Amino acid sequence: MRNSLKLFAVIATLSASLAAQGGSDTKGKFFFKKTCKACHTPGSAAKEITPLSKTQAQWKAYFAAGKHKKGSEKIDSVIKPEQVKDVQTFLVNHASDSPQPETCGG
Amino acid sequence: MGTIRMDRRLFLKSAGATAGAVAATQVGCLKYFKKGRSSAAETKEIPTTCELCPNKCSAIAVVEGGFVKKLNPNPENPKSRDMLCARGNAAIKQVYDPDRLKQPMIRVGARGEGKWKPVSWDEAFDFAAKKLSDVKGKYGPEASLWSSTEGFQEVFFKNLGLAFGSPNLVRHPTLCLASVNLAYSATFGTVPSFDLLNSKFVIMSGANRFESIITPDTMDLIGGVMERKAKLVYLDPRFTVTAAKADEWYPIKPGTDLAFILAMIHVIIAENRHSKDFVAAYTTGFDQLAEHVKQYTPEWAEKETEIPAKDITRIAREFADAGARALYYAGRRSSWYQNDFQMRRAQAILNAIVGNWDQMGGMVPNAKLPKGEFLFMPWDEPKAPRVDEVQKEFPLAAASDGVYLKLRENVLSGKPYPVKAWMVYKQDPMNSLPDQSKTLKMIEQMDFIGVIDVQMSDMAWYADVVFPESAYLERTDPVEVMPGIWPAVVYRQQVVKPIHDTKPNLEIIQGLAKRLGLGDYFDYTIEQWVDAEFKDLPIPMAAEHMKKHGVWAATGQPSYGKTLTPDHRFVTKTGKIEIFSERLQEAGYDPLPVYTAPVQPPGDRFRLILGRVGYFTHANQSNNVWLHEFMKENDLWINPKPAERMGIRDGAYVTVTSSVGSVKLKARVTEEIRPDCVFMLHGFGKKSKMQSLVYNVGASDAVILETAWDKVSGNAAFHETFVKVANA
Repeated sequence: MRNSLKLFAVIATLSASLAAQGGSDTKGKFFFKKTCKACHTPGSAAKEITPLSKTQAQWKAYFAAGKHKKGSEKIDSVIKPEQVKDVQTFLVNHASDSPQPETCGG
Repeated sequence: MGTIRMDRRLFLKSAGATAGAVAATQVGCLKYFKKGRSSAAETKEIPTTCELCPNKCSAIAVVEGGFVKKLNPNPENPKSRDMLCARGNAAIKQVYDPDRLKQPMIRVGARGEGKWKPVSWDEAFDFAAKKLSDVKGKYGPEASLWSSTEGFQEVFFKNLGLAFGSPNLVRHPTLCLASVNLAYSATFGTVPSFDLLNSKFVIMSGANRFESIITPDTMDLIGGVMERKAKLVYLDPRFTVTAAKADEWYPIKPGTDLAFILAMIHVIIAENRHSKDFVAAYTTGFDQLAEHVKQYTPEWAEKETEIPAKDITRIAREFADAGARALYYAGRRSSWYQNDFQMRRAQAILNAIVGNWDQMGGMVPNAKLPKGEFLFMPWDEPKAPRVDEVQKEFPLAAASDGVYLKLRENVLSGKPYPVKAWMVYKQDPMNSLPDQSKTLKMIEQMDFIGVIDVQMSDMAWYADVVFPESAYLERTDPVEVMPGIWPAVVYRQQVVKPIHDTKPNLEIIQGLAKRLGLGDYFDYTIEQWVDAEFKDLPIPMAAEHMKKHGVWAATGQPSYGKTLTPDHRFVTKTGKIEIFSERLQEAGYDPLPVYTAPVQPPGDRFRLILGRVGYFTHANQSNNVWLHEFMKENDLWINPKPAERMGIRDGAYVTVTSSVGSVKLKARVTEEIRPDCVFMLHGFGKKSKMQSLVYNVGASDAVILETAWDKVSGNAAFHETFVKVANA
């Protein structure tokens, strides 16, 4: 019973966090690679960024602040406003403390 | 005619086969030797990547007059080096197999009756698209199931399922190694490689590495053992080839490996032999572990495992003394017991406390190499939840792989919703899932089944339409990065044109997508896809290099210790190696591995255990004519004591019966197995008459295996079935 309650709590937390993000992981990956990775790659002027660059909490805080380029511009001036939630979802889902077990191929 | 015979002999001789053995099955292929082969035929050597197993070895195809004459290893790949195994060599016979699928076919008889109508690709696409659309219209896109196994072109199949709107992609890991993957991911945030080449002390639990897969790292270990560089301790209820080569073999009581590992941890901590600096710097939860394992003494473990306490203690000391160069090897197929995840977690923890992480001869996080990516148009996320309810039942498992057996249970029950269409790529659920009668029931309740495969697998045999995929030697695939101690990028390019009316998977997917109104998501060619991947390879003239060499590997020696820095963050909740796992605890699981004794078979029954040999990949290739020469039929290993008691003679037929089915096969009466177990090999007793060499030959373990799974990962538990054995 105790375990069931804990499990329920985990599911509720996960569901709540996903609902809060409300975006598409698939589209987020696409927009991240298409837009963000245009600059944030090794050897380019901007620092390399991957989902592993921050924890889930750090990504959430980053998007809550909504700033880009050390606060000099708004994030939705770089990523289209309708794409921000998708990118956030992708980055949070694959953050450095995300529970993403490795798989075989795929 | 004389010229033809001469060519065949030359071909067979060069490929290392015996002409007599192969001649009987060559008749259907004669026409391919009739044209274009002369002494002046142009010879080309084309590098490519093997697909006969998941190891992805580099090969060089020798092509003469448009035919694959021989496959050689490509030494430029550090993972496969100068080696191509029996399966790799036999890939030629996948192309020239008279049994292979040669054109699309639509079923005209009852499912499984074997009556087919050859059709054009357009007819096959139209038929499948209409059936899929009908199911979608009636039940929604989530009523379709998309099953696939690892492969370079798998991505296209999965993408069609997702673009179609189904959340129900289900892959092979929960039939294979999901428990290892989840256990190591939960502990280290990644699944490392095992540096067998440089290890000094290796323990293997049932991982029959010298027999079940023969690759260069197998040879590394063999070399190590033979030259006395490495000590190998091997636990297995069977005396396998690995047992024969090991320094010590213990016929452990099945299902008790966790007790052995916990007792080892007990000894190492009690005697203060763990790596204190490493534990302090990189791990979390050691104190809880120390308290937790006090109960697991070697004397206690002796009663569970039947391994003497003094040996457990000595092995633990030797393992700790080898320290960074000691390895508890994880194994490749970890679908054994319902506690499999916790057993693998205990292995991971044992490895962690001796400080072998990121060390020469220890466990090494996989180095990766960059490659480009083709960005395709994304689709809307499927709206329905998964039918297997992974997020509710297995919250820590890899949701994108699904949990196969729970999925089958839910599909059979129709809850939480009906599933009525089943698309399958490169997978044979008829043989890879336990309890074949349940799989047959699942098949019965489908309105539509479509299978994409090179051969007429048992699953294809029960399909409504089969789409013949070109063999790997006939097609070009996406580029693949092989992470590892020696990472490499490999390229599979077309070696010969398809000899039958087959297509690469991408073109099959595009044909379906176009008719399903999803063509825009697949509006690219394999060349565009591959070119995008070549683009970011950090080598000059990448495309030219890959086409010429088939592989690119970073030069130099492996670099160890990159993650052993104060600021390194492991991809775990705490950023440390998690000996005690809060995430497991929060999900309702044991945060440290807890031992529960396995249920033992009653006196009149045996535990059925399974295994693999290096000739076949799971249930595949037993119909490959060259590999079939190595093993023509499977048998049942049984110890002489119970055999004598029951009057079972070596070589006589026996029936093997579980609660779900019964099979008949020959007995192998041998001392090389414990008296409480019986063993049979996977991949025989096929139902497909287009697997002519193994159709109804031997027996399929899937018929008698019962349904059970590991509680945390959902991995199938294939060693939990008890069987009765009797003379047939």
